[in-house]
Amino acid sequence: MANNKKTPSKAIGRFFKGIGGFFAEFGTAVSKGDIFTKLSLIWMGAGYARHKQFIKAAIMTVLEAAVILFSILFASQYVPKFGTLGTVQAEMIFDPVTMKNIMNDYDNSFKILLYSLICFVVWIAFFFVWIKNTINSYKIQVKADKGEHINTFIEDIRMYKDEKFHITLLTLPVLGIVIFTVIPILLLILVAFTNYDQNHMPPSSLFSWVGLSNFVKLFGGGGMTSTFGYSFVRILGWTLLWAFFATFTTYIGGILLSLLINNKRTKLPKLWRTLFVVTIAVPQFVSLLLVRNFFANGGIVNTFCKAIGLTGWLRDIGLISTSYIPFLSAPGWAHVMIILINIWIGVPYQMLIATGVLMNLPADQIESARIDGARPRQIFAKITMPYMLFITGPTLITDFVKNINNFNVIYLLTEGVYTTTNQALANSQAKEVDLLVTWLFRLTQDYYNYKMASAIGIVVFIICAVFTLVAFNKMIKGDREETFQ
Amino acid sequence: MRLKKVLALGLVGAMAISMAACGKTSSSTDNGGSGNAGTSNETVSLRVWGGEEDQNLLKELVEKFKTTYPDQKFNIEIGVESESTAKDTVLTDVEAAADVFAFASDQIVDLNNAKALANIEDMDAALQNYAKKSVADIKAANGDGSVEAASIDGKLMAFPMTGGNGYFLYYDSSVISEEDAATWDTLLAAADKAGKKVGMTLASGWYDASFFYGAGFTTGLNDDGTTAIDFNGTSKDGYTGVQVTQSMLNIASNKAFMAIADGDISNQIAGGTLAAVVSGTWDAENAQKVFGNGYAAAKLPTYTLDGKQVQQGSVSGYKFLGVNAYSKNVGWATVLAEFLTNEESQATRFEQRQLAPTNKKVAASDEVSKNVAIAASAAQDAYGVIQTVSAKYWDPAKTFGEMIAQGSISATDEKAIQDALDTMVEGAKAAVE
Repeated sequence: MANNKKTPSKAIGRFFKGIGGFFAEFGTAVSKGDIFTKLSLIWMGAGYARHKQFIKAAIMTVLEAAVILFSILFASQYVPKFGTLGTVQAEMIFDPVTMKNIMNDYDNSFKILLYSLICFVVWIAFFFVWIKNTINSYKIQVKADKGEHINTFIEDIRMYKDEKFHITLLTLPVLGIVIFTVIPILLLILVAFTNYDQNHMPPSSLFSWVGLSNFVKLFGGGGMTSTFGYSFVRILGWTLLWAFFATFTTYIGGILLSLLINNKRTKLPKLWRTLFVVTIAVPQFVSLLLVRNFFANGGIVNTFCKAIGLTGWLRDIGLISTSYIPFLSAPGWAHVMIILINIWIGVPYQMLIATGVLMNLPADQIESARIDGARPRQIFAKITMPYMLFITGPTLITDFVKNINNFNVIYLLTEGVYTTTNQALANSQAKEVDLLVTWLFRLTQDYYNYKMASAIGIVVFIICAVFTLVAFNKMIKGDREETFQ
Repeated sequence: MRLKKVLALGLVGAMAISMAACGKTSSSTDNGGSGNAGTSNETVSLRVWGGEEDQNLLKELVEKFKTTYPDQKFNIEIGVESESTAKDTVLTDVEAAADVFAFASDQIVDLNNAKALANIEDMDAALQNYAKKSVADIKAANGDGSVEAASIDGKLMAFPMTGGNGYFLYYDSSVISEEDAATWDTLLAAADKAGKKVGMTLASGWYDASFFYGAGFTTGLNDDGTTAIDFNGTSKDGYTGVQVTQSMLNIASNKAFMAIADGDISNQIAGGTLAAVVSGTWDAENAQKVFGNGYAAAKLPTYTLDGKQVQQGSVSGYKFLGVNAYSKNVGWATVLAEFLTNEESQATRFEQRQLAPTNKKVAASDEVSKNVAIAASAAQDAYGVIQTVSAKYWDPAKTFGEMIAQGSISATDEKAIQDALDTMVEGAKAAVE
């Protein structure tokens, strides 16, 4: 735990110091290295070959050759066009003899963007390998000068099985993260600075860089008819409100439910627990779509409310103006219903977590509190809740972030049912019940507005990242662990 | 110790692979049209996308196609892609999409914008060589409306396949007489007397525009791809948008009227509270089941506008077969698409699927004209328009319809109506992005 107590500013300082040290080492290697170390700047195997590490030399040479070949054969097709994202529009002429279209050698902006990005990632990775390689040959040179033992290839391999096992372990996951997480995120960030939309869709059309104009538009500085800024503020507000309520209602509900079930006076606790867990067992797709139909304007619940006169009564007191209760089709109503339905599907998860934590409550503390004459409510407020919060704090944060992006509940409950009557929202394809993520989905899926969706995506990412950093720092700060010992 | 390490390595590997699995969702389907076929001795690979219900029919027609050209080897794959979502799938990756695909007529603007459709006129030589028809022959063989809808700037961009994809009125003739079904006023009165309702979707730019089209308003596309729309002004027939909206509000506020959410019509028909409903041929079977012997269909009624009776317009809908501009065998794809939409194929399609043909000869046949729904659809098509609008039109128009359905603007507040119309038009006209 010692490392975690460092403040973030110190951690960042250490990070940059580390990078500085890396380059300083490289500087020493280049200036003090012998001719072979210097030669390894050009031929990466030189230093190893000099000290008879032929297999390593061969590997580095092959790697270097592979990267050079990659640059010449692959990167040269895309990277030079990265600045313009292509200039040649697709054109085709039909040839009746071969029955095929003759295409020109057209540019595909998206491929240029994606493949250039991959090239950059490869080059950056190679750059660090290249520097590390020079440092290594210098190290070997120093060792040789001192007359120390220089590892054979077999010995090096063995090291990756023992002392350096962490490197062996982490290689695959890091590769996976780079390919499947880092590159897509970088691509998304880049798209936010282009005009990739319905009018600029590859392969037939090109798109190009537009700087910050998408962000300007998002924050309200856009064209005359654009209501993006208006919609963005409203949707962001609801997204945060939703994330707050969705997180805390299920959290508190889960704790209360598990307390209730774990109470000694509750009969058949296992039965109740199982019944609630069944909600989890049914896929959300099924349960949410069913619930959506129940609460639709012409659904079962509405038919029932009409039959018992509730609808008429609500209309008499002026709460609704329609011949049905707009559970999921009017602002306000839909907002409350969505949070309520979310409680129903979210509470069982929290109940399971809470049950686990409550079973590990320090019994001696509760016992002594009881002997001191504390009431159950006091025990709950002073012992149970703080303990719960301490243990589940981090999950609470991740739940909040998850709820900001809770696509399923919102989309499945409102898509096709909710029609906005706010024309300003409609003009930017938004609805009152949209989260940023569902709005983003519709923009890409139905309107091919990738540039705005990317801009929104970046904003969501920043919100989540800042919130997580701040909240985690607050949580981990201090030695709160000791208070529970 | 060693075992633990091996286990750790295995777990890490599994993690990396599972991450790979997550990231792989968008792996493109194999591009069937690869290889460099073309001359007659090489196999031509083609892929066709059609609706799920059409699969058997497509299989049969494709076999027929192969026997029609015995000198050419084909490898034709048939895939499922609903006509209503074809655009989304095709535009996701044009180069990986099928060579020939079916789509609904309202998607032609977006597909053409993305240049995903091969221009059929450029394929004239291929059609003349193999199908022994010119583009002019095809245009002449199909109904004028369908050819117009399948053309952009006068150039044929897809093959008309089925018509009758617009909407009209189904009614229960045991409750509503033929005369009652002629106007909205009498229709609603008759339904009310029987304690039943008349259903129509208002919250959709496809349905709610019908009142405006009937009054002489128009929509279209500007050169820059934006929507041209005049609903907030005065139509060529001299009606204002405010007057049309007032008429719609009067209909929507009638207690025998039921505003149905977009996509919920089939459910509501089955519900049994409706005596009449505005829908299309896709609900024919459904309506027949519920209305029983009373099952009838007619053109849409007239509605009261500024004291006069005005025929409600509609949007004529069609289904087309498009040829992918990026097809590796675009010539043969065109010949196949032509074959799948020619006179014989359309006759087979009507026999098996009861879908209205666009081919004039097939449409004139006895069997087709006996079909109640198709006849009503054809009657309404006389007042139908071809709706070409940009993607920006749909949400504002949908919201406008919902405002009328919920009665959130008052029929007497002309200023509020004008404001709502202005906002809708502004949204619909917005630059496409």
